[in-house]
Amino acid sequence: MRQQYARRTQVLSLVLGVIALAIIVQMTRIQNSAEAAIFRQRASNYAYELRTFYPDRGEIYDRTGHLLAGNKTVFEIGVDLKSVKDPNAIAAAISVELGLDYAQVLDVIQNPPEGLAYVVLADYVEAQKAINLQELKKVVQEQAPEGALGELTGLEFKSHPQRSYPENALASNIIGFINRQGLGYFGIEEKYDTLLAGNPVQVLVPTDPNKATEIARVPDGTTLVLTINRDLQAATEQILDEALVTYGAQGGTIVVMDPRNGEVLTMAVTPRMDLNQFWNYDVIYNNATEFNPAVSMPYEPGSVLKILTMAAALDTGAVIPSTTYLDTGSILVGGATIQNWDQQPWGVQDMIGCLQHSLNVCMATLSTQMGANTFYSYMNNFGFGHLTGVDLAGEAAGRLKIPGDSDWYPVDLATNSFGQGVTATPLQVMMAASSVANDGRTVTPHVLYAMVRDGRQYNVPAQFAGSPISEQTAHTLSEMLAISLESEGSLALLPGYRVAGKTGTAEIPVNGFYDSTQTNASFIGWGPVDDPQFMIYVWLERPESSIWGSETAAPVFAEVAEQAVILLDIPPDSIRQQLVTK
Amino acid sequence: MNIQNVTHLVHAYKIAPWRVNRQWVGTSLLAVVALAMIATLYLDVTSQAAIAGREIQDLTAAITINKQVSGDLQTQLATLTSASVMKSRALELGFQPMESGQAEYLVVPGYSVIEPDILSSAPLPQMSALSIPPEYNQSLLDWMDEKISSSSRGLQ
Repeated sequence: MRQQYARRTQVLSLVLGVIALAIIVQMTRIQNSAEAAIFRQRASNYAYELRTFYPDRGEIYDRTGHLLAGNKTVFEIGVDLKSVKDPNAIAAAISVELGLDYAQVLDVIQNPPEGLAYVVLADYVEAQKAINLQELKKVVQEQAPEGALGELTGLEFKSHPQRSYPENALASNIIGFINRQGLGYFGIEEKYDTLLAGNPVQVLVPTDPNKATEIARVPDGTTLVLTINRDLQAATEQILDEALVTYGAQGGTIVVMDPRNGEVLTMAVTPRMDLNQFWNYDVIYNNATEFNPAVSMPYEPGSVLKILTMAAALDTGAVIPSTTYLDTGSILVGGATIQNWDQQPWGVQDMIGCLQHSLNVCMATLSTQMGANTFYSYMNNFGFGHLTGVDLAGEAAGRLKIPGDSDWYPVDLATNSFGQGVTATPLQVMMAASSVANDGRTVTPHVLYAMVRDGRQYNVPAQFAGSPISEQTAHTLSEMLAISLESEGSLALLPGYRVAGKTGTAEIPVNGFYDSTQTNASFIGWGPVDDPQFMIYVWLERPESSIWGSETAAPVFAEVAEQAVILLDIPPDSIRQQLVTK
Repeated sequence: MNIQNVTHLVHAYKIAPWRVNRQWVGTSLLAVVALAMIATLYLDVTSQAAIAGREIQDLTAAITINKQVSGDLQTQLATLTSASVMKSRALELGFQPMESGQAEYLVVPGYSVIEPDILSSAPLPQMSALSIPPEYNQSLLDWMDEKISSSSRGLQ
C-alpha cells in the first residue's frame, strides 16, 4: 500500500514537473520569439515620449533696474468634447466671465470641426478671469450630487507665459514686441531675439510616472539690461509730445546719448505704440521705418551738418577760428548759385560768425576750398553712408553721394556741406558729432548695457569707431559752438550749464523741388562743454508755428537738457568745477 | 559499549531517512527565506525610488508654478511702479516736478557715486546642476550589476 502511494506520488510529481517544464519552455519560447521582439519594440515606442521644454523669455530692464519687458501667466481655455456634460452651462459661464457670445460658444461646443476631441474657446485669458472660472467649476462640482459630474465638467485650463510690457508705450520704439508665435519684431526684441528666447531643450521623458528621471535643465533666456534711463525716457517723451502740440509739428524724434561711451540714454519718437496691444501696429504705422525714425528714417538734416564741415576744415588746417572771409550772400558752385538762408550778404565773418549765423555760403566756400576728395573722405570717416552698428533692428544707412556716383554733381559738394542732398538718421549725425564732443573719438551708439545669464552679469564695453579729427580740433570746435550759441542768445542755452550745439533747418523736397514752407527743424548739442556727459538730438518734422530750428528745436533741446541734468545728477558748472579742483 | 558500537550508532543516525528529509526541507526553506528577503528588499528599494520619482515630479511642478507666480508678481509690481503711475501718484501727493535751479548740491568729501553691479533679479537656483543620486533611480538589480561590474573591473 505504501509503495503504491509512493508510486502515485512519483507519477503525479512527474506529470506536474513535465507541465511546469512545458510552461517554462513555452514562456521562454514566447519571450524570445520574433513576435515578442515586435511587441517589445512597440512597447518601447510608448515607454518614452520626446518633450520640448521652452525656456522663459529673458526680461528687459532699464539701467536703473526697472522692468521694461517681463512675462506673465495667461490661460488657454478649451473644452474636452468627450467629457462635456452640459454645453449650455459651459457656454453661459464662458460668456459671462469672458464676454464671449453665448450662441457662438455653444455652437463651437455642439458642432466642433470633424475629428477634434478638444476645442479652444479662448486663449491669452488673464489669470484672474481663468481663476474665477476654475473656482466656479469647483463650486459647481461640489454642489453636484455625490458621485455625479458637475455641469462644467469638460472645461479645461492650460497656462502658458505671455510677454508683458509694464510701461505700455514707454520706449516702445526701443523695445519692440513679440507676436503670438513668439517672434521678436523691431527694437531689442528683434535684435536680440535669439538671446532672449533661449534654447529649447528636447528630453525623452518616461511615460511611467513611477520612474524617477533627471530633470531637464532649461536655462531661461538671457536677461538684458539697457542703457536707457526710464525716468529720463518718460520725461523726454512728454517734452516731445508737448513740443508737437506747441509747434504744430507732424512728428518728432529726440535722442539723448552719453558721448563718452555711446550709451543711448533715451530715444523718444512719435508715434508710439502700447506694446501690450501689438496687434494695433498696422493701425498706427504706415510702414516699418516709422516704428523708430531715430534709426530707420534717414532725412536731410540740414545745418546741423555744418559742425562736421567746419570740423574737417579746422582739422585740415584750411581755417582757424579767427579766419575771416567776405560773405557776398551767394557763391557759384558747379553751375548753381548757393545762397544763404536769408539770401542776404553777411559781410566779413570769422568762422565763429559763420557757425553762429549758419551761413551756407561760408560752408560751400570751405568744402570747395578743401576739395571733393578731402571733404568726402572726412564725411566717410564720420560715418555718413554707413550703418552706425547700433544694436536695434531696422537700422538704415542713409545716403552720401560721392564723386563717381551716377547721381553726384559738382554742386553736391556745396549743398552737402550744409546738410542738403545728403541723408542720415539722427543717430548717424550723433555718432559723427560724438567725435567733436569726445576728444576726437567717434563712439558707436548702443542700447545694451549688460546681459545677465545664469546669475552672471556681462557688461557691454564702449566701442570706438575711429578718430576722424584730432583732439585739438574737437576742443576748438566745441568752444566755437558754445560761443556761437552764447553770442546769439540761443533758446538752447541752459542757465548754469555751458552747452555747445547747432541748429538745423532743412527744406523738404516735394516732387523733386525743395519746398521752403516745409522744413525739418533740428538741433544737436551737448554739455557741459568742458566735460560732456550728454548729447541731445532734436528733430521736429514740418513745424507750423515756425519753420526755423532755432525757434522750435532749440528750446526743446533746452527742456530736455534741463531734465537730463536733474535726472543724471549733473551739478551746475560752477559746483562741478569746485569738485574738480578739490 | 565499545567504540565499534558507537560508530555504528552514529552512522545509523547520519543515514536515517527522516534526517535526510529534514536536511532537504531545511535547505529548501533557507532558499525560500533568502529569496523572500531579496524580494522584500527589492520591493522596498523600488517603492522608495518610485516615491522619490513622484516627489521629484511634484517639486518640479511646484518650481514651475512658483516661477510663474514670481514672474506674475514681478510684472504686477512693475506695472504698479511704472513711470506714469508713479508720476500721477506723486502729483496726487502734492509733489511738483523739480527745475534745475532748485537742486542743491553739497560737496561731501570722500563720497563717490556707487554704481550698482548687478541690476537684475537674483540668480535662479541651479535646478539640475547636480544629478539625482543613483540611490533614487537605481534598482537593486542595477546596483548589484554595477557592483559586480566595478569589482570585475577592479580585478582586471
